[in-house]
Amino acid sequence: MKTPRRKISAAILALLFAHFSAESARGYSFNQVVPDVRQPPALSGGSACPVRAHRRTAPDSIAVRWSTALGTSPTTILTQDQTAAGRLNEIELAIQQSLGAWTGVTGSALTPASLAPLTRTASTTACGSDGLNAICFGQADGAFTPGVLAFTRVITADRIGEQVGSSALSAEPGEILDADIYFDPNDPRIAYATPQALASSPAAYDLESLLTHELGHFFGFSHSAVWSAILFPYAPAPGTFANARPTSQQPDAVLSDDDRTGLRALYPDAANTLHTGTIAGRVLPANPLSLPTSPPGVTGIFGPQVVALDVSNGAVAAAVIGGWSCSGAGPAQFDGSYLFEHLAAGSGHSYLLYAEPLNGTVDPSSISMATGTLCRNSTSDPGWPPLASCIVPTVNTNFTTRTRPGPLRAGEPPPPRTRSPPGLAGGLRQVHGQGVRPAYCVGNMSWANPVVLMSRKSGVRGGNSAGVRKLMSNW
Amino acid sequence: MSFVERRRFLWLLFLIGLGLIAVVANATTFARLRLEDLAQQASAVARLRCLTTESVREQDEIWTETRFEVLETAKGFLPGLVAVRTLGGRAGHLQSHVDGAPRFRPGEEVYLFLWGTPEQPYRVLGWAQGTFRIARNPKTGIESITQDSAGMAVFDPATRSFRHGAFRNVPVPLFRARLRKAIESADSR
Repeated sequence: MKTPRRKISAAILALLFAHFSAESARGYSFNQVVPDVRQPPALSGGSACPVRAHRRTAPDSIAVRWSTALGTSPTTILTQDQTAAGRLNEIELAIQQSLGAWTGVTGSALTPASLAPLTRTASTTACGSDGLNAICFGQADGAFTPGVLAFTRVITADRIGEQVGSSALSAEPGEILDADIYFDPNDPRIAYATPQALASSPAAYDLESLLTHELGHFFGFSHSAVWSAILFPYAPAPGTFANARPTSQQPDAVLSDDDRTGLRALYPDAANTLHTGTIAGRVLPANPLSLPTSPPGVTGIFGPQVVALDVSNGAVAAAVIGGWSCSGAGPAQFDGSYLFEHLAAGSGHSYLLYAEPLNGTVDPSSISMATGTLCRNSTSDPGWPPLASCIVPTVNTNFTTRTRPGPLRAGEPPPPRTRSPPGLAGGLRQVHGQGVRPAYCVGNMSWANPVVLMSRKSGVRGGNSAGVRKLMSNW
Repeated sequence: MSFVERRRFLWLLFLIGLGLIAVVANATTFARLRLEDLAQQASAVARLRCLTTESVREQDEIWTETRFEVLETAKGFLPGLVAVRTLGGRAGHLQSHVDGAPRFRPGEEVYLFLWGTPEQPYRVLGWAQGTFRIARNPKTGIESITQDSAGMAVFDPATRSFRHGAFRNVPVPLFRARLRKAIESADSR
């Protein structure tokens, strides 16, 4: 009797451990802007397809200033150096390193040269819709309520030639014209510490981690639900910092692969020959009648998180929010499409895909900037052309799907059918990516792999997802 | 390795896992507000139905003003219609993006913890934390409530620890009972 009991106990313990240590893997997303197609094509681009909020990456095109007007009652920013000049230098170094994390990603067009030198201002009202990007630690704002610590406000244009304050005229729809980062100076319970001061300030938030997160918004990102991503909506615990500190060899150490892949997609570098892989597909319901009838035209699951795991190490290479596509004159089609871009391609790079609904740690409200702004219509914008109109469906958080094989490329043999490992729920089928040739990975699962865990939990509320059949590639 | 050692090792792994969760589950740009805190600090608490949303520009800042029909007031005094402002929105050819600011759809029903004065448009206390969305099961008709911050473990400055404790799929009658208790508790402070 003892042996089976021991085995069962050990299995339960291992399952519990695996369950709690499994990574919640959801991915990067971008703020989206639908160009104003009521304008002439020369101003709007002529398409109602959503475009990503983004910045120009020409040399010195992104200017950032920070306000040296700091909160003193209470003291918001804690530094190791207590001299006036040393304090400012320490804060500035944290800002520099946070910016450097984003410009230090290889394979992206956002480089250190894209940034103008960081400047200081003594203004107590440096943040505002003035066309000047700013970081403010001591500026109160009417948007703060109790419980809100920091936020970033990003302003984009939906046509060419638009301006905010003294900003340059927008050269493309979706261009970011102004972004400001606000830290609440008035909450006496909250303080932020520079990396130098964090060890002696265990109750303070790590300034560098928060800044790096907010700068992600500054560059056009919405939130990610990959726990290790810097754009995960929730900050590291006080006294701790996200991932690793930057070094001169790896200035982007604080970022995750999900952040890096997102940055490469947002600011692609034409000279990047390594990250050229794409995987595309659709997430479709097992029963098409289960799709919502309103709004009309929804032919796939909207809002699934599709995750690409690096087969070699099980890490999340990237994850995207799927559910729509757009081409030509638009508008967005809610056909369940997903697209991974700028994945490392070539031999040795294989990916395992799965999908899950946004019913876990991060829910649809966290990515509303990425999903809620995909459509415009005559209700939201009088005079909007009917053919360019659409209505964003509700994010589907309770779906059951199965996978279908993707189209084969010319001359490509069909992937071999393989047996699902014991314990996996039914409904899993072979699919395969396009552009990237993943390895077949049956037997490659481990207990720490969320696919296995969640598949075993199909139909059961628990873990990070509830009642979900996972999509998997290459079974 | 003996059974006892193996068991110790597995327990150790389990505890390390839990410890890791405590580190990575983390807080947010929000500081935790318990239901009692929300009830105490809110100017009004009500069940509302979203009627319209529109962007307004005030002092160069773009806000979204959502007009709600008041269905039921749990705290404070509200007229039949209230306006709630959240940062961000679209005005002219400019779009202001603020991640984490709640957005509402016409027809949607919510419980909101409102903050501000009746003379000014209200704001949502704690943004996601003060937003409780109502979903109706189409088969059973049963209504349940999920807090926008339901998934997050937020930092509680009072106890210096992380708490989940948010509302997810809670039946409306149960939520109302908890809310009533929280408001009574806040009133007696």
